[in-house]
Amino acid sequence: MLLGDVSETYTDLVTTVFSSTIAAKAWLASAALVLVLVQITTAARIYGRLSFLPERDAAIAAVHRWSGRGAFLLTLPVFFHCVTILGFQTPDTRVAVHSLVGTFFYGAFAAKVLIVRDRSLPGWVLPTAGLTLASMLGVLWLTSSFWYFTTVRFGL
Amino acid sequence: MGRGWRPILVGAAVVAGTFGLAKAQVFEPEAPAGSAVTGGDIYRGEIVFERECASCHGPGAEGGGVGPRLVAAGLDAATVTAAVQQGRGVMPPGLVSGGDEADVVTYVVSLSTP
Repeated sequence: MLLGDVSETYTDLVTTVFSSTIAAKAWLASAALVLVLVQITTAARIYGRLSFLPERDAAIAAVHRWSGRGAFLLTLPVFFHCVTILGFQTPDTRVAVHSLVGTFFYGAFAAKVLIVRDRSLPGWVLPTAGLTLASMLGVLWLTSSFWYFTTVRFGL
Repeated sequence: MGRGWRPILVGAAVVAGTFGLAKAQVFEPEAPAGSAVTGGDIYRGEIVFERECASCHGPGAEGGGVGPRLVAAGLDAATVTAAVQQGRGVMPPGLVSGGDEADVVTYVVSLSTP
């Protein structure tokens, strides 16, 4: 059946590199989290913090933008599997929290992208939106990848 | 309504869309027919497998030296259930039971189908 084949194709694709779909998602989300940490670091410098980095350097802004784009791209395969194959589930607290925060994640992302482009908003809005988004990814990572690495196995 | 509301409205629309997609589970795989144990969940089965079985059968059931490769092995649900419940060779019986058993049987059958 066509719809069933999507899940199989997804599994076939990710298991060319990883041992299982869950391992793939755990590592992709971890890579996204690393890029989000780069986002936070470069954003802090752009806002005048972290003096060890060059101030308002063009490279800092470029690293900030591309780390954000990279993090977004890395979350897409995870999003696809979580949303279209697994769906919204609440069998226990971990999964319920993961489902709930995951549902809001791309909404927060879309809002943040619009906030970046809207210069009429107060100055505190953008860093608040960015930190909210980063915190959400942190919660998603803790309730999935961290749980997987510490409870199931740590490996590709 | 000022432009300041736009991010909130668009964000809310994306949240609603995501929730709708998640509730629909449009690509949820069907459980294989004829399971000896029913109601298993492939995804949870994968987690149980990696935790309880992969040390012998290898990650993703690709074979791990001790246990055989199960991928595309053509095992049906009855065979897998019997192996889990009664053991086979060096594999002890009853490594998993209850819901975990149903989940792992469903998972193994799904990846075992050539």
